[in-house]
Amino acid sequence: MHVAVERRLRQPRWLAVVVPLGSIAFAFFVAALVLLATGIDPLSTYRQLFDAGFIQSGSLDQTLITTTPLAFMGLAAAAAFRVKLYNIGAEGQMYMGAIFGSAAGLYLGGRGGAAPLPIAAMVVAGCAGGCVWALIPGVLKAFFRTNEILTSLLLNYVAGLILTYLIFESESYWRETKGFNATVFPTGKPLPPSSVWPGWTLHAQGGVTVPLGAFLAVLAGVVVWGLHKRTRFGFESQVLGDSERAARYAGVRIRRKILAVMALSGAVAGLGGASQVGDFAHALDGDPNGLQKIGYGYTGIVVAALARYNPFATLLIAFLIGGLQNAGSTLQGPSFPAGLVGVLQGIILFSALGGEILVRYRFRISRRSKGEAASAAEPAS
Amino acid sequence: MKRSRMVLAALLAGVVALAVAGAGLASRGSTPFKVAWIYVGPHNDGGWSQAHDNGRLYVQKMLGSKVQTTYKENIAVGAQFNQTVASLAAQGYKLIFATSYGYVTPTVAAKYPNVMFEQATGTLVAKNVSEYFGSAEDTIFLSGMAAGAAAKCDTIGFVVAYPIPEVIRHANAFTLGAQLMHPGVKVKLVWTNSWFDPAKEKKAAQSLVAAGACVLGQNVDSPATGQYAESQGIPWVGYDSDSSKFAPKSWLTASVYNWGIYYLKRVKEAMAGTWKPGFYYGSINDGFTKLAPYGPSVTAATKAKIAKYEKMIENHTFYEFTGPLHDQSGKLRVAKGVKMQVLKGGTNSLYGMNWLVQGVIGSPKG
Repeated sequence: MHVAVERRLRQPRWLAVVVPLGSIAFAFFVAALVLLATGIDPLSTYRQLFDAGFIQSGSLDQTLITTTPLAFMGLAAAAAFRVKLYNIGAEGQMYMGAIFGSAAGLYLGGRGGAAPLPIAAMVVAGCAGGCVWALIPGVLKAFFRTNEILTSLLLNYVAGLILTYLIFESESYWRETKGFNATVFPTGKPLPPSSVWPGWTLHAQGGVTVPLGAFLAVLAGVVVWGLHKRTRFGFESQVLGDSERAARYAGVRIRRKILAVMALSGAVAGLGGASQVGDFAHALDGDPNGLQKIGYGYTGIVVAALARYNPFATLLIAFLIGGLQNAGSTLQGPSFPAGLVGVLQGIILFSALGGEILVRYRFRISRRSKGEAASAAEPAS
Repeated sequence: MKRSRMVLAALLAGVVALAVAGAGLASRGSTPFKVAWIYVGPHNDGGWSQAHDNGRLYVQKMLGSKVQTTYKENIAVGAQFNQTVASLAAQGYKLIFATSYGYVTPTVAAKYPNVMFEQATGTLVAKNVSEYFGSAEDTIFLSGMAAGAAAKCDTIGFVVAYPIPEVIRHANAFTLGAQLMHPGVKVKLVWTNSWFDPAKEKKAAQSLVAAGACVLGQNVDSPATGQYAESQGIPWVGYDSDSSKFAPKSWLTASVYNWGIYYLKRVKEAMAGTWKPGFYYGSINDGFTKLAPYGPSVTAATKAKIAKYEKMIENHTFYEFTGPLHDQSGKLRVAKGVKMQVLKGGTNSLYGMNWLVQGVIGSPKG
């Protein structure tokens, strides 16, 4: 007997519905076995999970706090990955966006309510910060053929150390130095009120505050989608991603494309960093136990992969994963180890990603000889 | 494009269906008083967080079914802490012990006026926020004496977390204790920039031993330093919890906390409605800090001398942070006969101390 994995000639529409649903159902089934094995009631666990992530009063409010950065990070990854530029550096680009963005907010902000000028400046500075940081691996890739996976990843650690240095190990512009509390534990200088990003409250579920960053993330999604689907730049970078040689023959300026894609990806990540400061922290968070511990940039890669690098799908997946992560801290406690929360989240993500193979490929079990099977399984695309 | 949109619609539909199915199963029991603890590391880290969790278990044991306690571990400062508080408040938790500095912000406190917050090691006292900690410097000084007595060379390695006053004063107290038993001994610091990171802590310990340290001490949360010390056969002073089981031969002693006595008192007050915000600073005298049992290599003479100083600290006839105290450059920071205070004195207060005493090798800026 022989099992062959073949690429599907056509991908029937029903598969696109059945496979993800099946994957999720499978994930919950496997997770239920794990839960039962550890002596925990799976049904009540799942109820708590969805309650805390999406249903309960105030839960969406908290879910959006994770969704917003994940949307930016997912879009940053999607923008680069879909043209096969593997920018793993969204995490570090986010820190740089936070550093640049908070500098603009601190410098331009004043008293009074949220003001357009400092906030716009923070948006621009955040994008610029992420952009500059992403261009380092971009330039190395474009001019020296350096592997961008390694350079962008390692620059995350550099950015993290810079972030910590600014708050913990120096009396920088970003650090609060006034008052006794500032000497007891280092913190970022709070943004002036006019630099704090506004949020809009929806009167649902006991008041859901939608931060400005969430709207900007949707806007960024539209921009990334538009650039890729509706412009020559998008087409050319797509060609470059598929085959560099073809792109060269077609006269695509390869270096310029690499730089542009990295800049776009970095700018989106940097905007996410500015949103962290403007929307949520209201000061630069240099604590290695804070922003750096969460690792939005890395989760963003998973978000983008689940969304198959589609910008709009990325936004929705960011919402779902955001809820899952938000619910994680609700579940854990003395009778529910934190590690088990990670296992549950891992099983769900793994199944969702693994199910993909069933959409694109099919398994054929045959009794024919190896040679025949191989020739039958010739890729058709 | 169409297909992925349908995938998402299907995903969402699945989520909603599961949630609706689950929502019907809600149940309610009796209503014990709900108290939660929030930890920076794992609850069983063998150090700081575990000491707090022992305090939680003590409260649960003493008050039984009248309280319901829980903990949330590995919670990041900032957004994740705020999310955790939101979910605890929604579940009816009335009293939250946030066991690390930087967790409770004025914004969070104001957002949940009906929740009583207690934060370890900080200074933010507000209408519903208390701060608590204790004079571990006294017992760390004593544990430093054990390290000094055990040192057969002139360098002791000390693995430290963040360059902040809390850690700096502990490193200073440790050094003063070591110098008392071993005049001229140097204490070399390596910063990990994390409260709990066993891998980094082990590397720090390795580099300290490579630099000539023959005894190790620490102000970080995991016993990784001790495990490395055990593997090298050199003495080790722990911190926060009795973690002798991780390094039975190397173990000298450690300054440990008894958070339980404070937690029990505060939980009782909160239940009785007499809870008031304040600033608690525990000591050897009220049993908040003490020295863990000694390891096999601590000599009787050392034990006797430590016991003598412990008694003197209890009687207030000795205090390690009494002038003259010089900083690393030799500059006199605290004048002869002057005692340092917890909050008063700016950078010469315990909570503001940003300079290292003479004999420490390393930078107070990390």
